[in-house]
Amino acid sequence: MGFGAIGAAVGEGYTAAQANAALSRDPENAGGIFKSMLVGQAIAESASIFALVVAMILLFSDFSNGSYVTVAALFGAGLAMGFGAIGSGVGSGFPAGAACVGLARQPAISGKLTTNMLIGSAVCQTPSIFAMVTAFILLFSDFSQSPVNPTWAAVLGAGLASGLGAIGSGIGGGSVAEASSEGVARQPGALTTVTNVMLLGQAITQTPAILALLVSFILIFKSYPATGAIAPAMALLASGLCMGIGAIGPGIGEGIASSGGVRWIARNSSIAGDLTRTMLVGMAVAESTAIYSMVIALVLIFVV
Amino acid sequence: MIASIRETQKKYCSRAMAIAIFVGLAFIMAGQKGIGKGLILGTLFSVLNFILMGEMLPFKMNASRTRASVFSLVFILFRYGLMAIPLILALKLEQFNLPAAVAGIFLVQITILGESLINFILPNRRNQL
Repeated sequence: MGFGAIGAAVGEGYTAAQANAALSRDPENAGGIFKSMLVGQAIAESASIFALVVAMILLFSDFSNGSYVTVAALFGAGLAMGFGAIGSGVGSGFPAGAACVGLARQPAISGKLTTNMLIGSAVCQTPSIFAMVTAFILLFSDFSQSPVNPTWAAVLGAGLASGLGAIGSGIGGGSVAEASSEGVARQPGALTTVTNVMLLGQAITQTPAILALLVSFILIFKSYPATGAIAPAMALLASGLCMGIGAIGPGIGEGIASSGGVRWIARNSSIAGDLTRTMLVGMAVAESTAIYSMVIALVLIFVV
Repeated sequence: MIASIRETQKKYCSRAMAIAIFVGLAFIMAGQKGIGKGLILGTLFSVLNFILMGEMLPFKMNASRTRASVFSLVFILFRYGLMAIPLILALKLEQFNLPAAVAGIFLVQITILGESLINFILPNRRNQL
């Protein structure tokens, strides 16, 4: 809950700051700006409510019959959801802020702008939903038949992979949605093109989080032979950390690449094809580091 | 300004509550009382949270920076505490279904996003928020 609140607080704060900028530009349109801010903040808060749900389950459920693996799984679930909510909370604040500023610039298109902002914000929530899925699997799976060593490290690694891996994609997705809201406000005629490129960019920005989810599923569902050695357990824990931390940079980087594409397509949609191609090439290169991380994570799981 | 915030709240809160009551009653009539009651309970607190968010916005905007920061922090803690109530009730009492209560506390957000999605898919229906 603590980690999860960080993202929502930053995102909501950013939205409020942009709403101030918008109010200063167009005080006459205060009502519309406040509406946009309220709706945007409500969506930005979703990720931290996911964290609240997991925190309440951890606090008020009875896990007294669990083994040491269950203890590690519960800790992993908390970490997964806490870290996983940071990126989505921060990311969702970006389009909400941009929509407030856009509304001050173009009050006549408030409906289109709000729709675009909300679609962008909704996609930003997907990494935190991945993290919540991992958290629920860790919370409700039965690990009583699994050997304590090295399963404790696998479940903890799974939580870290999924949680940390969601941070970059959440923030990156938010950057794309911000550029889209800004673009629609500048060029309302390019709404359809901008929204479609935004969705494409956001979909690719989610891939590091998906790779992290894949590694966390492998860590959870693979069966491990019992061992007294510490090295296999450390390899599984390192695998989760490798994938989780390795996915942060690509998620943010792909978001930056995609936001550039969306921003400039809005200004010059006549060369949307060329801009989309450049955007996709840039994103593919940024993605490669997430793939390297996944390869190392898989080597740590299957080879070490 | 306050009127437009209230208008937004009324629109989404009434829709979320109507959906919760309609779906909840359908579940109760189908014999799934826990699901119906959980959904309505969760939605009630989701609506309450959204109303409180909107009601406090003008105050926060008009207060000094220090007062607004302190007030926002205290108020966020209060709202999260409030949102925890249906979850704790659902976890502790058999009569409320937990997944339904969780779905309920997201119903305002689901309503907002659902409307936007319909507007995006059917552009002719798009109107001013």
